[in-house]
Amino acid sequence: MLIQVINLQRTYQMGSVKVEALKDASFQIKEGEFVAIIGPSGSGKSTLMHILGCLDQPTAGSFLMEGQDISAVSENELAEIRNKKIGFVFQQFNLLPKATILQNVSVPLIYGGIRGRRRQLELAEKALQQVGLGDRLHHRPTEISGGQKQRVAIARALINNPALVLADEPTGNLDTKTGKEIMDIFRQLNKEGHTIIMVTHDQEIAEQARRVIQIRDGLIQKDEVIA
Amino acid sequence: MIWEILRMAVNSLTVNKMRSFLSMLGIIIGVGAVIAIVSVGSGAQMQVTSQISQLGSNLITISPGIRRGSSGRISMTSTDLFTMELADQLQQNCPSLARIMPNLQTSGLLIAGTNNYQTTVVGVTPVYQQIYDFYPARGQFITEEHEAGATNVLVLGSGLATELFPETDPVGQKVKLFVRNRHLLFVVVGVMEEKGSGAWGNIENQAFIPASVLMKKINNRKYVSGYTAQAASAADAKAAVGEVQYFLTRYLGDPSQFRVTSQEQLLETISQVTGTLSLMLGGIAGISLLVGGIGIMNIMLVSVTERTREIGIRKALGAKRRHILTQFIIESLAMSGFGGLIGIGFGWLGAAGVAKIGGWPLVVTHTSVLLAFSFALLVGLFFGIYPARKASKLDPVIALSYE
Ligand SMILES: Nc1ncnc2c1ncn2[C@@H]1O[C@H](COP(=O)(O)OP(=O)(O)OP(=O)(O)O)[C@@H](O)[C@H]1O
Ligand SMILES: [Mg+2]
Repeated sequence: MLIQVINLQRTYQMGSVKVEALKDASFQIKEGEFVAIIGPSGSGKSTLMHILGCLDQPTAGSFLMEGQDISAVSENELAEIRNKKIGFVFQQFNLLPKATILQNVSVPLIYGGIRGRRRQLELAEKALQQVGLGDRLHHRPTEISGGQKQRVAIARALINNPALVLADEPTGNLDTKTGKEIMDIFRQLNKEGHTIIMVTHDQEIAEQARRVIQIRDGLIQKDEVIA
Repeated sequence: MIWEILRMAVNSLTVNKMRSFLSMLGIIIGVGAVIAIVSVGSGAQMQVTSQISQLGSNLITISPGIRRGSSGRISMTSTDLFTMELADQLQQNCPSLARIMPNLQTSGLLIAGTNNYQTTVVGVTPVYQQIYDFYPARGQFITEEHEAGATNVLVLGSGLATELFPETDPVGQKVKLFVRNRHLLFVVVGVMEEKGSGAWGNIENQAFIPASVLMKKINNRKYVSGYTAQAASAADAKAAVGEVQYFLTRYLGDPSQFRVTSQEQLLETISQVTGTLSLMLGGIAGISLLVGGIGIMNIMLVSVTERTREIGIRKALGAKRRHILTQFIIESLAMSGFGGLIGIGFGWLGAAGVAKIGGWPLVVTHTSVLLAFSFALLVGLFFGIYPARKASKLDPVIALSYE
């Protein structure tokens, strides 16, 4: 089992007010799945993704990745897991604005201990070619379109060949047509064997996944496999 | 990976060149000041040292003691101590002394025809030449006969010779010395060689007469203000100081009446004083380096805040604390290091400028450059640590949602 989430809770303390972003979530995800998480704004989707992405830790309950309890590992090990096993795609793209897209894609390789700058750039170039941006290597993020930015982000997420790709509203900042193109890439990746978890609040997009988990007020409402 | 991080750091500095430069300014000024001050200090010291050794070597000066007056003022003790006879006694009783001469001078107006010149007139004995390694270029110096007979003869410094006799050969000419409302007539017997430049340039404009003439015909006193003696070698000079002190203490009965200073001691004192002075000034310049460090810390804190999102992204992509820490510390080091390099350039230029004005050789030592540069790096490291730690400790989720 790739992911096991058991009675997961995440509470934010805002002064004297407690915000329960996640109240009690449990589910499992196997390798090779393509899961869409859907729910209204403020329901706790991003909170869940941050925990699955090892960027945040639960207040209670447990999250196991490949059988390893994430709440029990050190900060350094978390960074290593993020680097090697997880590829994150954000709604905001989150590219480094002053670096070229080639440099952007190579960043996880730097922290992953891949030696040799030339080797790093070769790998990054290959990854960009795979998302159809082989001719834009030295452009900066401000010089390319939103859809292209998201493709750079996908190339970056995949560069260390992670076990899990997480995407938090990857089409949220894109028009419908471009959004479809990005979804095609995700579907293709899933076909190639990548495990993908994607947050969206668009029912139509969610239905392109193979399983939909519905979340509301920090609780799992529905968990269904699409035929 | 270090190279990659270094490259990133330099990139981020070049993005905002003006800001980086202004933040480095404190370091630039600090390093520049340290290098310039240390260089000017050692240049001036070399200058003074070489001028002192130019005066002659292994010299010993015997002068009246210093006494604190009742009001706290410092005054020389009575000068009615040193006579020509005492000089002879010293010569006889102190075997390490090669030669000794009285210190004796006055100021007077020299008149030759229509030319005149106000200058220092030095009363000398023939050994003056050996003691100061200073010889006549034309004619002769004051001889034993002149001294014994108190003959009115005069030797001109080379500068003075051209002042008084621009066209004619001075040797054999007559000059009048007007001193203390009296006129004395002298015959010029020689002109001194040129001794070269230096702060002692006025030596070229002095006139030399027999000590006996100055004492008997001008001062009407049998006392001289002190003695200058010379030992045969540096080792002898040390021994001579002891011998003179021993003899004079016995002779005068009171060691506070006189002072014996060797040239070596003088050089030591001077190098100590200039050393302390440049250390002090260098220290003050060092403080500006510290202030420069605060400037760097300030800009690094701004940079960390501005790049919160970048830090979040890097952490999401697998950067560990130490990666972020190294990145920002290297940035801070790059800033202080680069500022240090520019400062070395400016300091060197400043030192070269002052050396040119002061007329001494430009000495920029490796030590001062290395010291100032490593101190700048140290400052960059020290003041970079806090912002870098702050950056490395950022929570990735919070950093990612920073607008
Ligand atoms: N850092 C935080 N501090 C306090 N409360 C927070 C924090 N982050 C999220 N929350 C709260 O937790 C709840 C869930 O937030 P979350 O971002 O997970 O929602 P979401 O489902 O991703 O919403 P959206 O679709 O708008 O992105 C919200 O009520 C939010 O206000
Ligand atoms: Mg969200």
